[in-house]
Amino acid sequence: MKCEQIAELLPDYLQGSLGSDQQNDVEAHLQQCADCSEEVTVWNKLSLLTAEQPSPASRARFEVMLQAFQAGRSSQPVSVSRWRQRASAWNVFHWLRAPLGAIAWSAALLAIGVYVGLHVSGSKSHLQDLAAMQSELTTIKQLMVLSMLQQQSASSRLEGVSWSTRDPQLNPQVLSALLHTLRYDPSVDVRLAALDALSRHGRQPQVHKGILDSLQEQQSPLVQMALIDLVLEWRDPDGAQRLQALQQIPNLNPMVRQRAEWARSKLN
Amino acid sequence: MLQVRNGAGEMLGVLFDRYQTPLFNFYSKLTGDRALSEDLVQEVFLRILKYRQSYRPGTPFRAWVYQIARNARIDHFRKFPPQSTLEPETLSAVVPADSAQAHEEVELLQRALQQLPEEKREILILCRFQELKYEEIASLLGCELNTAKTRIHRALQELRKVFHQLAGDTVLKRAEAVAAENSFPPRRSS
Repeated sequence: MKCEQIAELLPDYLQGSLGSDQQNDVEAHLQQCADCSEEVTVWNKLSLLTAEQPSPASRARFEVMLQAFQAGRSSQPVSVSRWRQRASAWNVFHWLRAPLGAIAWSAALLAIGVYVGLHVSGSKSHLQDLAAMQSELTTIKQLMVLSMLQQQSASSRLEGVSWSTRDPQLNPQVLSALLHTLRYDPSVDVRLAALDALSRHGRQPQVHKGILDSLQEQQSPLVQMALIDLVLEWRDPDGAQRLQALQQIPNLNPMVRQRAEWARSKLN
Repeated sequence: MLQVRNGAGEMLGVLFDRYQTPLFNFYSKLTGDRALSEDLVQEVFLRILKYRQSYRPGTPFRAWVYQIARNARIDHFRKFPPQSTLEPETLSAVVPADSAQAHEEVELLQRALQQLPEEKREILILCRFQELKYEEIASLLGCELNTAKTRIHRALQELRKVFHQLAGDTVLKRAEAVAAENSFPPRRSS
């Protein structure tokens, strides 16, 4: 056997998962070929690099993070978790049946109908029509997002936020609704999702400022930490100042304080 | 994991105990930096909490964790690009061996591993130290099983070459040192 043929078998040989015939073939080749044989030797020698143990402080840090997380969750209304249990597969049906969903689908069907009609009638400017139709559909989608963000159930609002991420560009109304969600939504999960969605539009000055301003108002350590990460990522000139202001908040979670301190050291 | 997904944060403690050492070793062998590796492990568990709803029950949890771990590292280096290439001297010392020769081999292996391109180092670490199955590695890297095996083999080929070269250099240096010692015997203070 040649080295190229062995190359195909070697990974399985190293894991001991070859049949006996193929294993014998590989071993016969290894007897003759110094390079291939050395590969196996190096592979075996890698076992000399034993597992290292993380420092005991690692577990303590994890505990603090977990406590911070649980503190954040316990401030959520109970209805949220109940809603989430009902969510998932049922959501789709729920959606189609809800008045809002019905309106949305009707609008979408109408739009498709108009488009097909125009297309069949052989309009010369069908590219323009297509563009107009797409923009109309985008508007409908964004209206749906707006409506979903105002729903009672956290899972609907969460879904609204995730819908908003499907469009690369959002109109100012949706962006400002998302900023409102980031600031005032009672659910930590929804606020975190809103932050994720908004950070995609961080280049727009209003969104940028809105996100950074919310740093002082957030109560949940998880959202605070996600915001600290963004401050660090964006490296604004006043980033360090904002983090310092955050650190001055009394009763700030120790993990958040530590993270802000760490981020400031990276910014300086 | 299902309990974590449904909000029982305490269960995350069990997952932490199970995964913190493998993840720490994944990062430390990849980066050679203990402090950074500990930070990244914390980041992984924070992300597990944040994104727990994205875990689909019934899918392998280990693959999901390593997906998060890879992304956490990629995001970290995107935010903070490494200032310079890693010096092997900054590696933490692993001294499991009781003989000088084995100790030297460990050092050479570590240096050889650090000299590999990152993607080759990563795939070797995943299959040799994290003991991920080839199928899991293929799905993690988003490639076919055969492609994953080929990549593993190429990584091993390169590791052999680098190791061979480093070992050759060491032997040469030692021979030079012996020659120098023979020609100029050093004074020993009593």
